[in-house]
Parts: sequence; C-alpha cells; structure tokens
Amino acid sequence: MTTLDLFGTRAPSRRIPRFDPTLVLSWAIVAVVLAWALAPGLFTPHSGTVGIAGNQLKAPDAAHWFGTDEIGRDVLARIIYGAANSLAGAIVAVAVGFFGGTALGLVAGSVGGKLDIAIMRIVDVLLSVPGLLLQLSIIIILGFGTVNVAVAVGVTIVAGFARLMRSEVIRVRQADYVEAAFGSGGRFAAVLWRHVLPNSLGTVIAYAALQFGSAILAISTLGFLGYGAPPPTPEWGLLISEGRKYLTAAWWLTTFPGLAVILVVLAANRISQSLRRSS
Amino acid sequence: MTQAIVSRIGQALVVLLLAFTASFLLLQALPGDAILIKYQNPEMGLTPEQIAEIRVLYGADAPIWAQYGNTLWNFLQGSFGYSIQAGVPVNTLLATNLPPTLRLASLALVLAILLAFAIAFAATLAPFRWLRNALASLPALMISVPVFWLGIMLIQIFSFRLRLVPIINPNEFQALILPVLTLALPIAAPLAQILIRSLDEVEAQPFVAVARAKGATRKGVLWRHVLRNALLPVLTIAGLLFGELLAGAVVTETVFGINGLGRITEQAVSNQDTAVLQAIVILAAGGFILINLLVDLAAPLIDPRLKRTVGALA
Amino acid sequence: MSLFARVSGKFSRLLVVGALLSSVSASAVLAQETPVQGGTLVYLEQQAHTNLYPPAGGFYPNSGILNQITDKLTWQNPETLKNEPWIAQSWEINADATEYTFKLRDGVTFSDGTPLDAEAVAKNFDTFGLGNKELGYPVAEAINNYDHSEVIDPLTIKFVFKAPAPGFLQATSVIGSGLVAPSVLDQPYNELGDATKIIGSGPFVVESEVLGQSLNLKAREDYAWGPESLAHQGRAYLDAIQYVVTPEDSVRIGALLAGQADVIRQIQAYDEAQVEQQGYEILSAPTRGVNNNVSFRPENPLVADLKVRQALTAATNSEEIVSTLFSSHYPRATSVIASTASGYVDLSDKLAFDQDRAKALLDEAGWVPGADGIREKDGQKLELNIYESLPQPQNRATLQLLSQQWAQVGVKLNVLAGDSGSATTDNLDPLKTPLRPAMVGRADPDVIKSNFYPTNRDSLLQKGGTNPNATWEDPELNKLLLSIASEPDSDKRLKLTADVQAYLLDQAYVIPIFEEPQVFAGAPYVHDVTFDAVARPSFYNTWLSPR
Repeated sequence: MTTLDLFGTRAPSRRIPRFDPTLVLSWAIVAVVLAWALAPGLFTPHSGTVGIAGNQLKAPDAAHWFGTDEIGRDVLARIIYGAANSLAGAIVAVAVGFFGGTALGLVAGSVGGKLDIAIMRIVDVLLSVPGLLLQLSIIIILGFGTVNVAVAVGVTIVAGFARLMRSEVIRVRQADYVEAAFGSGGRFAAVLWRHVLPNSLGTVIAYAALQFGSAILAISTLGFLGYGAPPPTPEWGLLISEGRKYLTAAWWLTTFPGLAVILVVLAANRISQSLRRSS
Repeated sequence: MTQAIVSRIGQALVVLLLAFTASFLLLQALPGDAILIKYQNPEMGLTPEQIAEIRVLYGADAPIWAQYGNTLWNFLQGSFGYSIQAGVPVNTLLATNLPPTLRLASLALVLAILLAFAIAFAATLAPFRWLRNALASLPALMISVPVFWLGIMLIQIFSFRLRLVPIINPNEFQALILPVLTLALPIAAPLAQILIRSLDEVEAQPFVAVARAKGATRKGVLWRHVLRNALLPVLTIAGLLFGELLAGAVVTETVFGINGLGRITEQAVSNQDTAVLQAIVILAAGGFILINLLVDLAAPLIDPRLKRTVGALA
Repeated sequence: MSLFARVSGKFSRLLVVGALLSSVSASAVLAQETPVQGGTLVYLEQQAHTNLYPPAGGFYPNSGILNQITDKLTWQNPETLKNEPWIAQSWEINADATEYTFKLRDGVTFSDGTPLDAEAVAKNFDTFGLGNKELGYPVAEAINNYDHSEVIDPLTIKFVFKAPAPGFLQATSVIGSGLVAPSVLDQPYNELGDATKIIGSGPFVVESEVLGQSLNLKAREDYAWGPESLAHQGRAYLDAIQYVVTPEDSVRIGALLAGQADVIRQIQAYDEAQVEQQGYEILSAPTRGVNNNVSFRPENPLVADLKVRQALTAATNSEEIVSTLFSSHYPRATSVIASTASGYVDLSDKLAFDQDRAKALLDEAGWVPGADGIREKDGQKLELNIYESLPQPQNRATLQLLSQQWAQVGVKLNVLAGDSGSATTDNLDPLKTPLRPAMVGRADPDVIKSNFYPTNRDSLLQKGGTNPNATWEDPELNKLLLSIASEPDSDKRLKLTADVQAYLLDQAYVIPIFEEPQVFAGAPYVHDVTFDAVARPSFYNTWLSPR
C-alpha cells in the first residue's frame, strides 16, 4: 500500500543535530526504568507484592511517596517491581512483531512476484481482523499471564512491521550501490544480508521504538478489560486499571502508574524520532 | 488499468475469505464453549444430559468442516446465525448495536481529522519556537494515555468536577461529546504527526520559496499545497485506523455505558459467543478492506504520479 | 443488627418499626416528615439485567427490577422474618407440610387487566416448581419437592408436595416467587430478557427499555394491594423509576455525588467514608444467607485431606480481611451462615486464626516446607488455584490478602482473573480449581442446601452435580441437607441447620470470611428506601423531598 513514505523515511530534517535536553531526558528515563527492572530491590525497601494490613489506602507521605493500595502495598514499590513485567511484556510484544514482521517483509520485498503478493495478502488478513479481538482470542487460547498477553499484542503488530520492512527493502534495492552489488555478480542472499538488511533496518528500528510505547498501552487496555496478568503481579497497565476503581477515594493508585506509562511512552517516542532522523 | 482494478478487487475478496477462514479456525480453538457458559448456571439446574441436548439443537456437535461450510453458506446469504448468549439472531443484535457505534466512530474520525489539522498548523505557525515544539510533542502525549483512563478522567473532570456535561440522562448532543472526544484523541495523534511532517516537507520544497517570492502568504501557501500533499497519507492512515476505532469503541462504550458493537464484542469474547464474533470479524474486515480498496483506487486521482502503479499496490 | 443502625434516620422509617434501633431514635424525628408524591428516581445499576423470569431473580440486577413490578403471595417481615399476608390473605399448612392452601385477596389484577386469581397463581407455581423443558424454564431454586397445584375456587389454591416442604411458605415471599401474568409464562424462557414482556401486578410497570443500557418504570395508578402490615397503602409515591446501567464504580459514585443520580447500587467499602462525608447516605442490608466464603473441592487430591483443609481454615485471618478491606457493614463470619440468618449458631471457635496450628496440621499431613518456602509432598508443591468472582465485593483484593496469609504457612494460592468463559469451564474441574469463592442470600435454612446440594449450586462439586466427571460425594452431608429441606417441625429443622453448620466446619469444606451485605448509597433527599429480608431494594415506599 501507500504506507511507503508515511513513516517519513525520507522526510528532510530541518534541524541540525545538536545537544537536545529532551532526548537526554528520554534516555535517562529509559535508563532508570531499566535499572528498576534489573534490580528493583535497590530502589525500594518495600515489597512489590505483599502488603501490610492496617496500612491500606494511605495517601502519599514521607514513608510511602506514592501512597499505598487497598491491601497496604507501597505503590512506588509496585511501580518499581512492575517495571520488569511491563518492560518484558513490551519487549516480547515488539520482538514478536519485529522478527515476525521483518522476516515476512524482507522475503516479500526481496523475492517479489507471486510470493510477495501472497505474503502481503496474509498481512492484509492480519490487519483486517480487529486487533483487539485477535488479542483477546489469543489470550483465551494461550491462557492468562504476562508472556501470553505480550505475545498476543505482538501478533497484532506483525503486519505493520511487515509492510514497513517490505517498503524499505524495495527502496534499498533500487539504490545504486545495491544495483551495483547485484550487477557485480553478488549472490542474492549475500547482497541481501550485507546491503539490503542493514540499510533498511534503521527505519524499522525506529518504528520498533515507537511500537514499544504502544505495546505498553495495549497491555494496559487488556488489563482494563480483565485480560491482564493474574494478581498480585505488579504490571503498570494492571495497576492503572485496578486503581481506577478507587479514583474517588484514592487518586494516587491510578495516577502514578499512569504517569509512569506516559513518561516511558513519551521517551520511547522521542527516541524513535531521533533514531529516524539519524537513519 | 481496468484489469489492474479488477485484480485489486479480486485480491480484496480473497483477503476477505482468508479472514473468514482464519477467524473461524481461531474461534474454534477457543477452549470453552458458549453453550456451556450460558447453560452451566446453577440457577438453571440443568443436567449434563440436558446441556448435550441443547448442543445438538444448536448444531454445535457437527464436524468442524460441516460447521465451516454451513457458516460460510449462511454468511453468503446474509444470515449471521444465532447468538447463544443473547438468544436472538446475530442480525438483530447487529441491527440495534451497529448504528450507535457507527455514529460514534464516524464523528470521532471527523473530530480527529479536524484536531489533527488544528494541531499541525498550530505547531508549524505558532509564534515562538518553544510553543511550536510543545505543540509538536502534543500528539506523542495524546497517544501515551490509555484510552480507558482518558475516558474516566474526562468524566471526572468535565462531568463531576466542572459539571459541564451530565453523564446520566444527557441529551443527545451531550451524550456524544465525551465519548467522541475519548475516541478521537488517540486517533488524532498519529494523523497530526503525519501532517506536521508533511508541513515540514512542503516548507522545504523550492516551490514554496517561489510562491512566497511572488507574494503569497506563508499560511496561504501551506494551506493550498499541504491539502493536496497530505490528503493521501491522511486517507491511508485513516483506513489503517479503522481497526483502532473498533478497539477504541470497545473501551469507550464500556466506560460510558453505551450499547454498541464494541460492548457486544467484549461480551461475546467473554462468553465465547462465536457466532457473534464471527460476524463482527467479517464486518470489521469487510469495512477495513473496502476502505483501503477505496483509498487505493482513489490514490491515483489525488496523486497522478501513482497512476502507473495502482496494480502493484498492496 | 448493627447494620441497620448505620442506616441514617431519613431512610429508616420502615426500619424504625423494629425495636432494633436505639441509635437512630434522635434522627427518627426527621422521619416524621410527610411523604411527597411525584418525581422520578434515577437508580444506577452496576450490571444489566439478564432474564426477568422471577426465579432468575437471584441475580441482583434482575431482582432490583422484579421487586418493583411483581407482588408475592406472602411478605416476609425483614425484622421478624415472619411471613405476613400480601396477595394471600391467609393460609393453612397441614401437619407434615405436604399441603399448603392459600386464600387470595380479591380484586387484584395484572397490569394488562387480567385477574390475579387462583388459576394464575397455579400457572406460576407449576412453572416455578416443575420447570418447563419445552420452553426452557428451569426449576426455581427455592422450591423443593413440588408435585402439583389444585384450584379449589377462583380465590383458593392448594399446593401439594411429594415430601414435606417446610421451606415453602418462606419460598412464596422470595424474589424468585414474584407473580406474573399467565401469558408471560407461555413465552420461551430466552425471550424474558426483554423487560417489556414482563407483566406483573406490582406497584410499578415497565414503560420502556434500551436493552443493556436503561429501563424506565412508571407507577401504576390503581395499585391497591401492598402488604397489609405496611403503613403506606395505595399507589407508590414515586411517579417513575429510571434504571441506568453504569458499570464503572467511579462513575456511579461520581454521578451520585454530582447530583446526577439518586440511588446507586454496589458501593465499595472504601467509598463509604466519602459518601457520608458529603451528607449522602449509605444504605446497607444483610443478605442473611451463606456467608461470603471459599469452598473446597475435596475431589482434588491436594485438598482431599481433612488436615490440609483444617490447616487452611486455621491459616485464614478473616478479622484482618474485614478490617483491611471492608467496613462495619461487613461483619466477620462466625459460621457458615450469617448471624442474621435463621438457624444460625455461633461456631467462631471452629474458625479461630492460629498459624501454629495450621503449620502443625500441615506437618502432620506430610507437607514439609521446600527450598522456596512452599510446602511439598512427594515432589508436588502445595499450590492452589482460585478464580476471582466478579460479582462479590472486592473479591480480588480479598483473595490476594488470603493468598498472603496462606503464604505465611507455606501454601501458595494463585488468584486467577479469567474471562467468564475460562472461569466457567475451569470451575467445573476440581483438578484445576481446588477452591472457589461462593455466597448465597436467602432468609431460610434451605439456603444451605441451595449452596451445597449437588443438584443445586453444588459448591463442593459432588457426584451427580454440575461436574459430569465427578466421583466424590459426601452422602452424610447430602442426607443432612435433604432433611433440612423436608423436616416439617420447625424446631427440629433449626436443630438440623445447626448440625449441618457444625458438620461443614468440622469437615472444613468451607472457610467463611464475612457476612455479605448489599450496600447502596442515596442522595439526602431520598427517603424510605426499604429492603426485603435478603436486601433486594423496594421503592414502593420511597419518596423524594423537594430539592
């Protein structure tokens, strides 16, 4: 389809690359969240899953910066411990979409002909079935759990990656140096591996960063509909969706996890933007 | 040219059939079954034998290929089968629930496009650099918020705090404001991003400098050229966002307690009411394929450079 | 009964009648205001109604509607739990409770004009008691041993039972025994989801509905047959009631506090303070049935051992659950059934929280702590699954807290939050779900049978019940349950009820947690919302003071 240049691969940059505080901040956010995911115990003395009875629904104070939830768990601790689940979920989802989609797009774009048409029709089928419905069905079939939810989200973003990759491959193939590589007798697979793949990946990686944010949101929406990870797993989307019931009594339950998601998604967007410019 | 269009339509039909088959297999793979879920209710006091009888009644014990054939044949005749959970034909269910969702979705799409243009132009034409940057990052912020959270927050702020729109017993206009906004914001975001980029591109084109040298205003040039250049990507994205609209409708309708296709979808998944799900998949897939077919066919009319390649478009 | 004391004075005019309320006597003065006629009550419901066949009224959204549009043969006084005349003016019961004869009130009509006579009552109870396979009507849960009815004259009807049915008089007053016009029961069961098809004789009639979204009732002008013992007779004070389905908790409570709704159902304990602070009222009523609990499926080998079940009972700190998650409207459970239920005995000593005892019992049963703290036996971990139950208040939080408590004695409880499809399928398989949350509300000892008997709700998944592959059963328990349902002597019946409570806890088949109320909230200008014995709201007496 005509998504070819929608992603702005060839958009001329009007800004000269320079020190950009928002980009630095974005990387900093990602670094902090990664650190949370790897060593949550370093950042909070509280448990992410076990609460203290009698300590429930406390507003934010010096001991619990983000307050406590309905069974006395520290909300900040839940967010910190939840980073691993949310990041892992988003990474798995994007990985499924990235590898599945890139493989399909690469084959379709480089082989062309009937195979291209066949693959792209399959991608169309994937796109045409409503994503949410597909996700819900996959979760019911695979069963509940962080990984299964992530896989379900991943399957629905395969199509986007496939289309983008295909268009990138077609663009790169037409470039003079690739034509030259083919012309000088390079084997098809070798040229593909050495020239086409590296040169088309940049945009796709930027797209992956963008999808990373969407994946967190999609997982969160599934949590809202009751298809998230089983409790007491701290997972950001689940925290927001569980906390919303307490909105009138305890605003902090849904607000802080919400802010965490917003910051990470914004950071991912910003990083995606910078990757795209540099590619 | 005509041959290319015929081939494109043929491919669309193949995709639709594939979507039907894929979703049929997917739905068959669901572990529970609607009959058990509906009738395995202690208040009904049915024995396992009675439930087996009901199963025969619904034809749910036939071999899978026979069920596939039957379902397909019925779909071709425009009959979507029988909802086990609701106890009414799926057609009836759709007749009452499709219109509210269509109205909600189409208004949201229109609002999203308006918002996207407003944000894009403001982000390009605003007086200060910091303001332009802030406006340009607005779309990213808009897609960072979960839709259900957005809906609940809009209700809290506009209905309960500011008391501008009642959520219970609103008039017809009031009933649409918040749901349409909830659905439109996340869809407006990617559209606005595309438009901002298009504006960047247009401004960098040499003809802009020429036009301005001839005395045209900046706004005028942008408006005239952007419309043509941006229409295609906006249309394409809008086509792709069709699926998003349904997902958004599921959440929006749940939050606002509206009856519609989205709510039905969610309930049907939960109750594994396969007939309903099959119909929704085909409707959504049909809508998606039709819209994208139209976009593809219209593309050469908007941008003549594409005329040559229409057959190769995916 | 402290539950009622929490209900503020303006709401409690009817409740004041009972001598239970010393604490509201001061505010009772307010209740002297004269009721005003007129106005529409906006009522927010959490879920849409499913089917309005009266025996389907166990589901709260159904009963919230049925209770306004149908009348019953008798009225169970919520304070005394005695049955008083309503559509039946008087009745006679033979000595062994196998024959009931009711004299009906004259001049009662359904809203379509047809008379509510013995023929109509016969048609209703024949359907409730026997079901109707052809049209898909199930047998009503509250009616046991039903054989047939005999119309003696247009205003006299006799019901005959195959075996003693001592619970039947009370069963004529429950929400599932609402009387509908005979023509309603000629329609297929599946079509009764459409409220406009339900024709009753109640103080309100269905005016219009948007399925799954809203429903409008209007007052019936010629209504003149409310329960005799009510002070209010004749037409309802309200002109209309509007039900709006509002699934989001925060939206219901927000709409009430913003003045967009008058009464809402299902407010959670954590929102109560906020509601009261703003001058709104909490309306809470007990459901008087089987307490909110988790029930074991003894067919699962992990919980087949009595010692394991006893250990888990001892490891459960229901006091902590109640004080952490709930409010004073949710008393801690002291038996299988609520302290307000008939036949209740205090068995709190069998439910004592004692972690040391729990550990000792598990050691005895051969379950020893593994490397990760979870107990093991023959290489198998003591890891149990339970699905959360969406209709129960804060069930997910309750189960998570329970999971924390059990973890302290080395047992892992996984709380699953599945879609209703997977939950329904898995809950039938004791190997997948060794435990299940349960509760039933009904103010008669029969309620215990309803919860545990295999052909009723089959909480333990016995042979002959809902699980076709079940092999496990407890014949002694079933014998006890059956005898409650057919013991005509009411003292002996209460004794049997006490026995079965003790038996259930001795076998540790069930861990009761708290007495589940129904909690509503109302705006300050809403007066006299009343509840039947199992907390179904009635708006017959309700009136709105000018705002």
